[in-house]
Amino acid sequence: MFSNALKALIANKLKTFLIFLSFTFSITAIFLISSIATGIITMYSSMLKSDGDMIVTQKNISDTFFSNVDTKLIPRIEAINGVTKVSAIIFGASPVEDLPIIAIYGSSQNRFSNYKLLSGTYPKKNQIIVGNSIYKQLYNKKNITIGTHNFTISGVYESEIGFENGGVVLNLEDASKIFNKSASLFLVNSTLNSNKDSILKAINNLSNTIEAKKTTYFIENYNQFTIIKTSSNVISFIAFSMGLLAIASIMSITVNDRKDEFGIKRALGISSFKITSSLIIESFIVGVVSFITAFILSNIILLAIKHSTTLQGYVNGEITLELSLYIFITSIIMSALGVIIPSLSASKIDPIILIQKGNR
Amino acid sequence: MIQVQNLTHYYNKDIALDNINLSIEKGKFIAIVGESGSGKSTLLSVLSTLLKPTSGDITLLNTNTKEIKDIDSFRKTNIGFVFQFHYLINYLTTKENIELALDKKENKKTLENLKLLGITELQNRYPNEISGGQRQRVSIARALANQPKIIFADEPTGNLDSKNSQKVFELLKQLCESGTTIVVATHDKTLAKLADTIYEMNDGKISNIY
Repeated sequence: MFSNALKALIANKLKTFLIFLSFTFSITAIFLISSIATGIITMYSSMLKSDGDMIVTQKNISDTFFSNVDTKLIPRIEAINGVTKVSAIIFGASPVEDLPIIAIYGSSQNRFSNYKLLSGTYPKKNQIIVGNSIYKQLYNKKNITIGTHNFTISGVYESEIGFENGGVVLNLEDASKIFNKSASLFLVNSTLNSNKDSILKAINNLSNTIEAKKTTYFIENYNQFTIIKTSSNVISFIAFSMGLLAIASIMSITVNDRKDEFGIKRALGISSFKITSSLIIESFIVGVVSFITAFILSNIILLAIKHSTTLQGYVNGEITLELSLYIFITSIIMSALGVIIPSLSASKIDPIILIQKGNR
Repeated sequence: MIQVQNLTHYYNKDIALDNINLSIEKGKFIAIVGESGSGKSTLLSVLSTLLKPTSGDITLLNTNTKEIKDIDSFRKTNIGFVFQFHYLINYLTTKENIELALDKKENKKTLENLKLLGITELQNRYPNEISGGQRQRVSIARALANQPKIIFADEPTGNLDSKNSQKVFELLKQLCESGTTIVVATHDKTLAKLADTIYEMNDGKISNIY
């Protein structure tokens, strides 16, 4: 049955190739949309997870960009039993040279080591370090102007996180002057055996203007992530549905196109089940080959996107095993459904009518 | 072997078979003749279970076809059909086309059929690599593959020259002599003359029996 299915595919080279292309592009589109949406969330959450069990933001703020927490609280948080490290960060964005927007991170010095230096030194006052992907695009490799402030480039760093690799890092104090805030948030580290809940309670008791949460809880419930997740889920669902419906309809057209063959085989006494199984094997072969091609193609595209200077590393995708399995199983099921539905309809038609229909 | 009672078939509102009654004994050679559109191909399709009739009863091998649960399996075991336009599967070799009708690949049986039809050397060729006459012989070999009890042939010599037609006649006659019931729809008078009984059809009715 397998060799006959393969022969049928080879015999209809053009049709098989077109089905293969449709399958591949549908699956690639699903891969890219889903993985880029996941990638954006993963990048931001990786940044937050990188050095903190807990996050402290301004109370009742929906976006970390608008949060302002007073750095004077840092020594008091450090004094809480079980706390090992408190770092602060300011998130901002600004145009630089021809680039319409770049991410700006004002960072306390105790988290500079997160940025792996490729050259130079970590920034001092009025100095800045630049992400590798941004550095390549700058005309002036010595100075950067952000707003009305001029900074000397003291080094170039590299980060696995696209948002960071496409941004610049400066001292918290300098960023504070630009964005007129003390800090966007604090990242709090604690000892392994510490009671996180009691630490959170102690931090929250320090001021009624702040809100401390566990990092994992914060990420899971962060409004912006919910918005990105919801909108990406909607887009992914639409793309996914369209892709899968395309796959099902392509297979359905293919089966309809071969109604005469269905009729001939039934006239010879071959059961509809056996004929349908043979067609499902054909769709499975095309599905598997297309999936592998789409998987490779998507990874190449994502790699190109990751290293694209135009996108500054802000767009990044991640194809997880879970996503791959999900797409593989659903595409195979949909292509099988595309075969089964017209096959069921053909099995109810008299063989001679199928033969006549196919030869019209 | 074949009993037909009050058989009627409509294509939409057009009547194709009008109250047909006939009886065919085992091992007989039957010819159905008539003008184009007289209903002979429809009768053959209905008798061979390839088309469900609008009304009436067909009894094949002592079984009413309405009572057969797995009609595909019944067809596979008992019926062979030779189409006018051979209808071979283009992506399969002649041998693979014949094997399609078999449950398991039975190399010996397939080779015997190929030999019987004189097409052994064509076994690895594809349908588009052989002539019309050769394709028709492959189609007959495929119909014989399961050693069916009844063979239905719709204009089996319709696309053949006189030499190839003669070969097909001889083969059908030979099969009939070995006990297979043959029912042929044809406008070929030479082939019809070989039949034990000739049913002449006109406007969906049997107008004469010779």
